[in-house]
Amino acid sequence: MLEFKDATIKVGEWILPIRLSFIARDGEVTCVTGPEDSGKTTLIRTLMGFLPVHEGFVSVDGELLTIHSSHAFRQMMVYLPQQIQFLAHQLRVPEPEEPEAEEFAVWNNLMSAANTESTPEPLNAEEILMLAEQTLKEAADKPIVIADEPTAFLTPELTMRMIELLRKQAEAGKTVLVTTRKPQVADYADQVIQLYK
Amino acid sequence: MDKGLILHTILGLLLLLIPAGALYWLERQKIARLCFVVGRMIVQLLVLSLMVWGLFKIDRPWLSIAWLIVLALGMSWLVLKRCDVKGWALIPAVTVGLFVGVFVVGMWLLVLVLPGRALEARWFVPVMALLMGHTTSMLIRGLSTYLSALKADEQQYEFLRGNGILHLKALQPFMRRALLAVVQPTIANLKVLALTSMPLLLGGLLLGGLSPLHAFILMLSMVCGCFSASVLTLGITIFLADKSLFDKFGKQNSENKNESNEERKYLAGDGADGDIAGM
Repeated sequence: MLEFKDATIKVGEWILPIRLSFIARDGEVTCVTGPEDSGKTTLIRTLMGFLPVHEGFVSVDGELLTIHSSHAFRQMMVYLPQQIQFLAHQLRVPEPEEPEAEEFAVWNNLMSAANTESTPEPLNAEEILMLAEQTLKEAADKPIVIADEPTAFLTPELTMRMIELLRKQAEAGKTVLVTTRKPQVADYADQVIQLYK
Repeated sequence: MDKGLILHTILGLLLLLIPAGALYWLERQKIARLCFVVGRMIVQLLVLSLMVWGLFKIDRPWLSIAWLIVLALGMSWLVLKRCDVKGWALIPAVTVGLFVGVFVVGMWLLVLVLPGRALEARWFVPVMALLMGHTTSMLIRGLSTYLSALKADEQQYEFLRGNGILHLKALQPFMRRALLAVVQPTIANLKVLALTSMPLLLGGLLLGGLSPLHAFILMLSMVCGCFSASVLTLGITIFLADKSLFDKFGKQNSENKNESNEERKYLAGDGADGDIAGM
């Protein structure tokens, strides 16, 4: 069970959710919805312990979320981030090309050039779903599922499959917290929390 | 300096008449540039040689170690400049990494492998300088790969952290890429070492009067030392840089990401994707 009680989250000069209170229960899909910049991702990132709670509190199974406890809580969570399409290296381990030999350069102190790694090619919709399934399968014993706009890059058909996947997690007794802007996803939730800008 | 030495230096420089003559005939504009770089090279080499001469003359362990610390500091500035890192936050980590990595491996070579007295400047200075040069070069590759991979693949780090992986474990994919950036060029170079030409270090050892067998052993030890020192330095630097790279929430510090206010807002809020259901 996750609880936000009068929680206000501040990121630099931005104050996002103000005095937010709700409970996400075990065995239910709780859907947080709202327009862009309403603080959905901020809320998720706070729950992960990546951002502090400015006022109020957040608790997991009755235990207070703090910087020090956040790692222990994350070990109980499966996390599907908003920009899951950039996790190509979770599916394919990058293998750098073998460079050409520079016999004189290396043993005679000529300085190397800096290397710049580039962002991997984004995953396509099928791969996003595959990664979500794989992540949920690998963490079958974790009691909390957090998904930040998991259907944002999916086709309508794949969106339905993602909803089914998340519903199954709730049916297994897990607490499922999902953010979305798609009414289609909210329709399948047990509880909908509306955030405003 | 005796007259013979000056005469030999002039005779050596006279060899430049051949390329200068060719340039005079075909590309006169480059002659001024050639004169400038040759002049600069002479000054740089002279300053370096005078410094080494001073170190050899005084021959005190504390002075040799102080020289190594100053060298590590200078090289760390060069590493960060090449890696395009703004600010000074990483200077201590890179300096300590370079100093410790080079000193530990260098002392192993000087105490256990090479025949001279370990802290004698005549041995200490060239061994440490060779290790430092190679290690700096490899650290540029390794650290730039590590930092740019963290930037480019920030999502992967947060994904791993968000799924309960410990900070150090979540950094492993990035450390692997940095390690490969150091190891792969070394492997590529070892494959062809002495295959197509004589390495300059080996040539230098033979010129210094060593027998080919002794030169081989020294060369082999130095190659192994360079390889080890570069990996050790990379490890120490990454470990020490951690506090500067990440905040208490385990998020990358914005200075290291060069991220703008808009990006910060984007990452913290949900500036993102828009629902593109039809994609």
